[in-house]
Amino acid sequence: MNFDLIELNLAAETNQDVIVTLGKKMLANGYVKDSYINAVIEREMNLPTGLNLGSFSVAIPHTNAEHVILSHIAVAVLKKPVIFYSMIDHSDKLQVELVFLLAIKDPDGQVSLLQKLMSVFQNLELLQQIKAAKTKEEVAKLLDVIEL
Amino acid sequence: MGKISVLSVCGSGTVTSSMVAGKVKEFLKDKGYNVSATEARPTEALNLAQSGRFDFITFTSPLQSGDYVIPTVNAFACLTGIGEDEFFEQVLEIVKGLNK
Repeated sequence: MNFDLIELNLAAETNQDVIVTLGKKMLANGYVKDSYINAVIEREMNLPTGLNLGSFSVAIPHTNAEHVILSHIAVAVLKKPVIFYSMIDHSDKLQVELVFLLAIKDPDGQVSLLQKLMSVFQNLELLQQIKAAKTKEEVAKLLDVIEL
Repeated sequence: MGKISVLSVCGSGTVTSSMVAGKVKEFLKDKGYNVSATEARPTEALNLAQSGRFDFITFTSPLQSGDYVIPTVNAFACLTGIGEDEFFEQVLEIVKGLNK
């Protein structure tokens, strides 16, 4: 995983701040087109991506493939939670602590990558370790399973 | 056993529907079924459901109201892992009921 796409202890007030910060990293690395960040923000307003995992919540903001050049995932561990709305109940406000910004070029071709990401969400211990990580290297190592 | 056709619905008909379709395919393949999955947006789901081409729907974005004719299953559990066993039980029950 590209260390450039990991943000530790990110101070953000809104989910939009997080998307912009991570999206700029995607853009700087050439993974997404100029249109990507706004497309993700707009999508998040209409089709939110917060996931309540029980003991805490994550979010997986993303948008359509047309805004993506190369598939990648960016990760932010937030200094304090920001509000994302729930994917399944759009009126449910979630306090999100971990954000995985997805740039997916070919969803059908990347099912195994996406499934590995799901397996990360289902491993609360692993998520706790990501939250507690002190260095980007540590986060990258914990996310090795995704095989970017 | 016969071919099962799943309609996987999510907000933009791409990312999370692919994740869920992959899981459902894998699960049913293990049970000996041959599965194909099609991804769609919630706005397309009702027409597709009524087309007769699909056996059931999984969704990770709320479906619009309407008569879907075929069974619909909330697949949120596939993403979070919470209640995943129940989800797969539900899927298996639907598939068994198809008598394919």
